[in-house]
Amino acid sequence: MWFQDIASKNKLIIYALIFFVLFVLHVQSQASTPLVAYLSISTPPLCHGNLPNEQLSSYTIEMVKGLRPEVVEIAEPAREGYHLTLRLNLNQIPRGNDYVKVITEISAVQSVILSSQLKEILWNVNSDDATQGMYKPIKLIYHPREPFFVIRQPQRILAVFPIRFKEKSDVIIATAFFQELMDVGSSDKWAKAPPCTWSAIPPPELRGETFEDLSTNGGFVTFDISCPHIEGKRLDKTIWNLLNFNAYVQYHVKSTKGFIQRRMRKRLENLVELLHHTNSEENEQQSKKHKGFRYAKKLASSSKYNNLKKKWGNFGRKIKRHFRLKIHGFGRFRQRWLRFSKFSSTGYTKLE
Amino acid sequence: MSSSSSSSSSSTLRLYLTCIRNTLEAAMCLQNFPCQEVERHNKPEVELKTSPELLLNPVLICRNEAEKCLIETSINSLRISLKVKQTDELENILTKKFLRFLSMRAEAFQVLRRKPVQGYDISFLVTNYHCEQMQKQKLIDFIVQFMEDIDKEISELKMSVNTRGRLVATEFLKQFI
Repeated sequence: MWFQDIASKNKLIIYALIFFVLFVLHVQSQASTPLVAYLSISTPPLCHGNLPNEQLSSYTIEMVKGLRPEVVEIAEPAREGYHLTLRLNLNQIPRGNDYVKVITEISAVQSVILSSQLKEILWNVNSDDATQGMYKPIKLIYHPREPFFVIRQPQRILAVFPIRFKEKSDVIIATAFFQELMDVGSSDKWAKAPPCTWSAIPPPELRGETFEDLSTNGGFVTFDISCPHIEGKRLDKTIWNLLNFNAYVQYHVKSTKGFIQRRMRKRLENLVELLHHTNSEENEQQSKKHKGFRYAKKLASSSKYNNLKKKWGNFGRKIKRHFRLKIHGFGRFRQRWLRFSKFSSTGYTKLE
Repeated sequence: MSSSSSSSSSSTLRLYLTCIRNTLEAAMCLQNFPCQEVERHNKPEVELKTSPELLLNPVLICRNEAEKCLIETSINSLRISLKVKQTDELENILTKKFLRFLSMRAEAFQVLRRKPVQGYDISFLVTNYHCEQMQKQKLIDFIVQFMEDIDKEISELKMSVNTRGRLVATEFLKQFI
């Protein structure tokens, strides 16, 4: 996503926000009417060829209208180059705790559009193929680099996700996750969740798809979605999970790598400590042998020593100042007797 | 069945580590020895290998095909190279990641080599100076402990990654219901 300030002159403020390169939001507001903003949306269809004229369907528009009817209105016609323009009545946004909630709902317009498109696809498409006994996969592009396939079969829908990662380590972590997903999904506790399978090779339902779509390094994850999974409120959850599955896996891989890194750092500290412990034990033994040195070091670093040194220094300076008359040999006497001896770790020799 | 196999594996590990410890104790008799090729230089002969008379026969201790330890000795230095077991791909990447992480921070260990010997996962280089600075017995203890810890850490990491995966999978499936 990137953010671009197109123009901010003549009291007209325009912003363009681009998500995933293809999804574009355009926000326009005028100083004369600061409580009204226009939000234009350009979105590629989730699936090419299934929606007439690549326009948003009436169902999608109804879903968008239902976001917050008091705040959001559909402006007709839509801004040129965009699929939909919304008029936002900012003064209708309630103040207080609901403020953030309403804004969050409105900002989820992208997910509303995409999920309603997927719902429509699941309801309508392939009806002709199904009657002929053919179930052609539908390629859905939620993210340009991560398409997935939906295959409608009698009494069930298959959602197939080709998994691709740049690094081999990511593939292995993701594969371990898929194994766990299969294990957990097959248990009785999760019988209500759609069964999930992972295979390194493409499932037979994808036969006939392009080589580019079938070449992966992380295999294919298939969700077997049956009628109970798309009934009532569960439909929204299923749609949301399918659209975000790739992002979910990527986030898991990323956080697992972070976890491994943290753990390795902690372990490194322990190992270094182990080695240093070995050294320190040895040093301790050595230092026990030289108690005199330890005492001298302690004395040298103590505050008493510093105070004494200061006093002696001042006293010496005073004597030097008061004895204007030069006494032959006094300098040597002062150096010899009126100076506090220095302690250093290297120069110290233990007295016998 | 599993308890007997785990006890046998732990006993083989103990034997393996004891063998390495004994070999290290015998091999770690290092002394200062100036380089014979370059005047006023003092180099680890086990790395240069310019004078065969200063090298001892290398000792290879194998627990199995995947786990082995090579101990190369010379008059003033000792090189210990370890190959850590990697039973599957996850263990393989975890081992690689962890040992690379340690090698990149080799200065913290003093005796760790930045690059492992070819065919091994991690290498140590002990010189006579290290033996003077540290106690020989403690150094051997550290190396053996290091080997034990690496094995333990890799298996713990693998278990943690799988446990995390299971938890995340559970949370994902929970969203459907």
